Amino acid sequence: MSNFPEKKIFEEADNWIKNNKKVSLATVVQTWGSSPLGIGSRMIVSEDGNFLGSVSGGCVEAKVIEECISLMKNKKICKKIDFNVSNENAWEIGLACGGDISIYIEEIK
Amino acid sequence: MKLEIIRETLKNKSLKKEFALITNLINGESEIFFPGNDLSEMFSKYSEEIEKIFNLNKNGIIENSEIFVQTYKNPIKVIIVGAVDISKYLIEFAKNLNFEIIIVDPRGYFASKKRFPDTKIINKWPNEAFYEIEANSSTALVTLTHDPKIDDPALQYALKNKFFYIGALGSKKTHEKRCSRLIEAGFKEIELEKINGPIGIKLGGKSPSEIALSIISQLVYEKYKNKI
Repeated sequence: MSNFPEKKIFEEADNWIKNNKKVSLATVVQTWGSSPLGIGSRMIVSEDGNFLGSVSGGCVEAKVIEECISLMKNKKICKKIDFNVSNENAWEIGLACGGDISIYIEEIK
Repeated sequence: MKLEIIRETLKNKSLKKEFALITNLINGESEIFFPGNDLSEMFSKYSEEIEKIFNLNKNGIIENSEIFVQTYKNPIKVIIVGAVDISKYLIEFAKNLNFEIIIVDPRGYFASKKRFPDTKIINKWPNEAFYEIEANSSTALVTLTHDPKIDDPALQYALKNKFFYIGALGSKKTHEKRCSRLIEAGFKEIELEKINGPIGIKLGGKSPSEIALSIISQLVYEKYKNKI
């Protein structure tokens, strides 16, 4: 049996929600220059900080998890986060590969 | 995105349907697009662009909009002739590389459900087996029996149907003999260049798992080279 990349992520999101957890979905929606993972790469984050999947080579995951948790806490629907060199967080995060990416986060309802 | 859409995506994938998941990045509303079907008002004005991205098998935001399209197409079909040890490792690698494997082997003791659980097996000679497989120029063939009786008819079928990848296990000498037989059968030398023989990229390994790795690497390479 062949698995499509998000199979485990989507199944697990369903499981977490069944267990009364709040879950957010993060998706790479745009990339410029070199980026570690392609457009459409996904990750899920639960309100207690559990995550599965990936949106970069580990460069921005921590920030994305933080943003997902605050999105759920503040009962927001969605947010697009851009990671690039001119970003104020560049010193903190910065993509080691020098690429820019846009990540869209949304709560799964 | 609604959980319902995620469940629908999983269901459609398990039913082997091809579709796109569309999201309005402004309000987080999502919908599933099937080619030829109508979309809701929010997305319908982007129908043409959505279809274009879907047909190119790409993901992305539609230009000058906040509409994100993620395409879900079926995995590439890889027909393996020969239920040998290498096939077992190929199946393992294929699981995480989005290839769908079908095993063809008329020898029941090789191609048993016990040896290959969870894999589609056709216990028939290639000529009969191909009646049951939908194949086209996005299909790949890997022959591993190096028995001309079994491998050759499959290779002939793949050449005629212009498979994007054809690989045949066997040494250079075995491959030379194979080519002479195919020429006798009416194929032109230039057509035979399509066959990767000896199969796989040169990694230097000899064990079944290492050979499987070299084959699957070549498949991934050819997939991107041919933009499949």
